[in-house]
Amino acid sequence: MPWFTFRFDNFAFSFLSVLLEGVPFLLLGSLISGLVDVFVSPARMQRLLPSNSAAAIGISGLLGLIFPMCECGSVIVIRRFLRKGLPLSSAVAYMLAAPIVSPLVAISTFAAFKGQNPWVMTSLRLSIGYLIAIGVAFIVHRLPSGSILRSENAASASRKRAGLSVSPEPAEGQDFSTLAAAASGPKKLLLTIQSATSDFLDVAFFFIIGTAVASVFNTAVNQEIILPLAGEPLLAIVSFMGLAAILALCSTTDAFIAASFTAFPFAAKLGFLLFGPVFDLKLFWLYGLLFKRRFIIALGLGLFLIIGLICWRLSAVPF
Amino acid sequence: MNTLFSRWLPCVTLASWSTVLLYFFFSGRITAFLHPTFRPYVAIAGFVLAGMTLVFLFFPADADCCSSAECGHGLSRLAAGKILTFLILLLPVTAAAIYSPDGFGKEAILNRGIITDASALPQSAKAPFSAPELPLPTNDATPPTAAATPQPATPADYLTRTPDGRIVAEVLDLLYAAQDNALRADFENKPVVLVGQLMPDASNNAGGKRFKAVRMFMTCCAADARPVATLVECETLPAFPEMTWVKATGIATFPIENGRRIAVLKADSVEKSSPPDESMLF
Repeated sequence: MPWFTFRFDNFAFSFLSVLLEGVPFLLLGSLISGLVDVFVSPARMQRLLPSNSAAAIGISGLLGLIFPMCECGSVIVIRRFLRKGLPLSSAVAYMLAAPIVSPLVAISTFAAFKGQNPWVMTSLRLSIGYLIAIGVAFIVHRLPSGSILRSENAASASRKRAGLSVSPEPAEGQDFSTLAAAASGPKKLLLTIQSATSDFLDVAFFFIIGTAVASVFNTAVNQEIILPLAGEPLLAIVSFMGLAAILALCSTTDAFIAASFTAFPFAAKLGFLLFGPVFDLKLFWLYGLLFKRRFIIALGLGLFLIIGLICWRLSAVPF
Repeated sequence: MNTLFSRWLPCVTLASWSTVLLYFFFSGRITAFLHPTFRPYVAIAGFVLAGMTLVFLFFPADADCCSSAECGHGLSRLAAGKILTFLILLLPVTAAAIYSPDGFGKEAILNRGIITDASALPQSAKAPFSAPELPLPTNDATPPTAAATPQPATPADYLTRTPDGRIVAEVLDLLYAAQDNALRADFENKPVVLVGQLMPDASNNAGGKRFKAVRMFMTCCAADARPVATLVECETLPAFPEMTWVKATGIATFPIENGRRIAVLKADSVEKSSPPDESMLF
């Protein structure tokens, strides 16, 4: 079997299935984002988290337990929170932790690994995922946000309109928050829909590119080429993390795929489950909505390195 | 031009996506793409997108699309970039919806690797009994007796049968039965009918009389589906093309080969079949 066999019909089937599964969640994220845009003022946002940045990062990393959100949907919500003034470090903590530290992910991981140390796998996945997320958030906290965020995502007090400029422009000197606060009930609803629509189209653009790239690899790459690497822990971990990035699976279901590769060691599966939800081909494009390209590449390489090293160390532990 | 970007292109995009979602849901094609849990969300999203389309229609824009620093579209500073943005939003979805089949082809199945061992699958609720401790395969060809394991229900409680008394089995049933003493007792040496897609078998086919009956096992959506297969053995290999849906009728056996117990359906007949209503297994 050649390692790469592309066929458009296979690509279209996989692409469309991810789209049909993902669009409702993108839409949910967009609607939440629209509601936040209209109903949560920057001042209220400042009061939501503790003023102590370390505590804020720690709590943000756990918010996925209360507000579970898949990795695609969380990018939209985070973008809105950032524009409302949420500290970048807290946003990063939530964005990286929410796809892993979530009750849905815990349940699916436990179910998938029944018979393969489910308690150990689930607890390691959630705890290491959380620690990595807040670790990255602390690093981000020390960096200037201008070197990380795309300029349009910085908190701004002078934004005039919701979304794709379809709402009436406020009077001179007035910004969107003032307009939203003064709007009547139906008007607020309209502004919410307009804002949600704008966010949906924005993120859908990146979602399509990411899904298309991932679907090419998902269907065209012969996944059995990595099987000979299963016997060597480091190669198994690295190749399995690479596979997670290529397959770009949803974090609520990826455990079932990882568990099915029975030849691979426990540590390699853990690497798959830690790296895939925080960085894959789809997320590479979605993150482009928030961050500068240089930061995304650094984030991907950093996460790959740290998760790979942790799993390599764990590969010596007999689970 | 401004109206085109700020009103009509988003409107067309939203309407197209809404149409695709609602079409797949109401035509029933969704069954090949998504796990039943996720299907209602597609309909809800389709209606919400239709609502958003109406908002664009009845509340016209008054300004440029992507004209301010708020715009997230990197390409949208120029008219060509704006058009490209909407082409990316429109074309792949539309093309995939028009040209996508309702299943994977042979290449994608081979690329994913066909699973013939239930230990590579989650301990699913498909197995009607809780699986007891699995005995290690031995060289002794005599399989462990079903009497050695508890049997809380009789097979008649959950097995579907054809009018002539054959058990209607899924590929997964036989794979799990190869691993589970109690479940195996319900199928072993019993007449069984099985539907799957025909694929050649190279790994357990010394006599050249076996093929694989393949089904896709989906967890969430088709992108995560993995091919699972049971071996079918017959006197003469059927002359159907690969990936043809076939119905194999015969006796379920569970020999130990290469140190592990596998499921082999010894078929009396193999005939062409129409795809089942749910082409995926869950």
